[in-house]
Parts: sequence; C-alpha cells; structure tokens
Amino acid sequence: MNQEISGDLENTRCPEIIKILSLGKRTGRLILSYGAESGDIYFQDGKIIHAKCGLIEGTKAVYEMVVWPSGEYRFFVDDTPDITTVDISIEEILAETENRIRQMDRISSLIPSANIVFVLDPDIKEKEIPIKSIQWRVIAKINGTSSIAEIAQSIGLTETDAMKVFYTLLKLGLIKEVERSDSHKAKMSVKLPVTPFVTELKNDLVKAIGPIAPHIIVETAQEMGVDLLSDNMDQRAALIETIHSKIPDERMALDFLNTITDWLKQGA
Amino acid sequence: MKGTIKDLLNITGVQGYVIASGRNIQIKLPSRHGLANAKDRLMDLYKDLIEEGKKAGNTIEICMEDTIITIFLSSSTMLMVVSSCIANMALLRMTGKLVLANIVKEK
Repeated sequence: MNQEISGDLENTRCPEIIKILSLGKRTGRLILSYGAESGDIYFQDGKIIHAKCGLIEGTKAVYEMVVWPSGEYRFFVDDTPDITTVDISIEEILAETENRIRQMDRISSLIPSANIVFVLDPDIKEKEIPIKSIQWRVIAKINGTSSIAEIAQSIGLTETDAMKVFYTLLKLGLIKEVERSDSHKAKMSVKLPVTPFVTELKNDLVKAIGPIAPHIIVETAQEMGVDLLSDNMDQRAALIETIHSKIPDERMALDFLNTITDWLKQGA
Repeated sequence: MKGTIKDLLNITGVQGYVIASGRNIQIKLPSRHGLANAKDRLMDLYKDLIEEGKKAGNTIEICMEDTIITIFLSSSTMLMVVSSCIANMALLRMTGKLVLANIVKEK
C-alpha cells in the first residue's frame, strides 16, 4: 500500500480533503480517525464509492466522519473495495456535509464533548413535551453517571447522533449537565503515601503546578512503574525527571528541579 | 538556584565536563581521558550542534562502551558531561540542566 497524504483533521477538515481527492480524480482509501473511532472512505476516479465507520456503511458513514473536528487522516493510493455502497455525487455529499458541520458546530456550542454526563432535570417548565422513541431510549439510559459516548454505545447510536438527541433534550429542558465538581473532586482526591520524599515532592510540585500535583505524581509513578514507597535513589531521580518534564513553565520547572534535587542530594 | 559544577562533579561516576560558548571552550577532564586533548573535535561538535536548525534537542546522550556523554544545550552554550555507566543518569540530567541554566543566567 502506498501512503500518499496524511495529516491532522484539525488543520484540514474532512470536506476539504474530499474536495482535493475529488478534484484530483484520485483512487484509493482515505482512513480517518477521531479518538477511539475510525473509518474509511474509498474513492474511484475522484468519486466516493464506499464508506465504512464502525458498523455503519455507505453515505451515513461518510456523514458520520465528515463532522469530526479533530483526529488524523491518511490516504492510501489504489486501495479499492470489493463493494459499492455510495451512489451519490460529491457535490451532493459536500452540500449535505456543510449542513451537518453547521449543525454540529451548533451542538458543540452547548455540548462540547461526548464525555459529558447528564442527569434528568426535575424542574420541567413545559406542560407537555412530545418525545420521539429514540429520545425515550436515550432518556431511559440517563443516570447521572454514564457519559453521552457510553449511552450511545449501549443503545447502538453513533456519537454524533447521540449528541443530536442530547442537544434536543437539553433544549427541551429535560436534562441538565451533572455538576462537574462532584466527579472532578472524586478524580482529584488522590491518596498519596505519607513519606518525607513524597511529601517534599508534593509540596514542591504544588508550588509549580498547583493542586493537580498529587494527581500528576500518582499518574507518573504508575506510568513508570515506580513504587512511591521505595527508597531507591535511581527510581526517585527518574520519577522527578519525568515529572519535571511535565511542568509547562520553564522557570517553574527549573525551580522545582532545584529544590527537589537539593533535597534528594541531602538525603542521599 | 544552587546547581553548580561542584554539584555535578559530586555525582558518583562523573569524570568531567566541557563548556563551550561562542569561540570559547573549557575542558575539565582527567588528562588521561581520551577526550581531554580533543579540543578541535569538541569545538566542531559544538558548532555542529548549536548551528540553527541542527539542534537535536535540549539534552543529547551518547552512550559508548564504558562512557556516557551527556550534552545540554541552551541558546549558544553547550555543557557536556562525561560520566561512566555507574552514574545516576536521571540525577545527572537534572543537575546538568540546573548548571546550564545557571551558566546561561550569569551571562
């Protein structure tokens, strides 16, 4: 397989890539990825002939992928499918794509991510609200702990379709976002072992990056397989070095390195 | 900031260092060391690394059979630390960064 072009969907959105491949009358496979999702769009002489995104195929798969705001793309020349599932012109696809991107931008302004968790809002303002069956299926799964992505997966919807439903429910005043602070607090309340080294490390890192410090220490130690209770000097130094590289501000990073290295040498 | 050359030399396994900046080069290595008399070669290496577009990164490690050369780069200054394999490399890198930050700051 010959990879011809590749890049970032944040810089070049999918419709632009489709336009380029169409104008160039290219034949091959365009692979798109967005987070955990990925899909393929096949071109034959610049015309889309097949698309697949998870279990979805055809035009619907194209429309699912074109709204992805970020991710990666790669185009493999002359990679052709055995089947044809798309039979509409590029112009029609691009026109519909523009509508969908506008719609998705509107949704994103209220629901920026599929990781958001909603809960049913008991304070309904309307007397009567008609509910569609797909909306009811979503409502039945809203529990204040499952995210949009998790609910979408459990009822076999794409994330895009699920976000549309959540957008409508939100507009209708039936749901509200779960207070982030609760789940955030739970995630932030990391228990660190109390040893002189860990306490010094935490105090110095808090000065550099604030209250997220304990979380970074635990995360880095887990990534590196370092036991925070260990007295091993090599492991401690390696842990400090990696944590230091995660501090975005260079001056803060050096200050952190300075104080903790000093402590480490005194203890050595 | 306390990171000094002395701190660097106190790390077990560190044999010496080279500081290069502009046209100046300072080599502090045991006289028997293979690199102690390689002033021209080290200057060429410095020029090559410091040249715009060729900078490979802030820290470069060259591992040889029984020696590790760690090079730190910042603006137009290069600090090269020569150590044996027994040195705590993470500690060496941390101290090296601090030493170079101090050298650059003093300029």
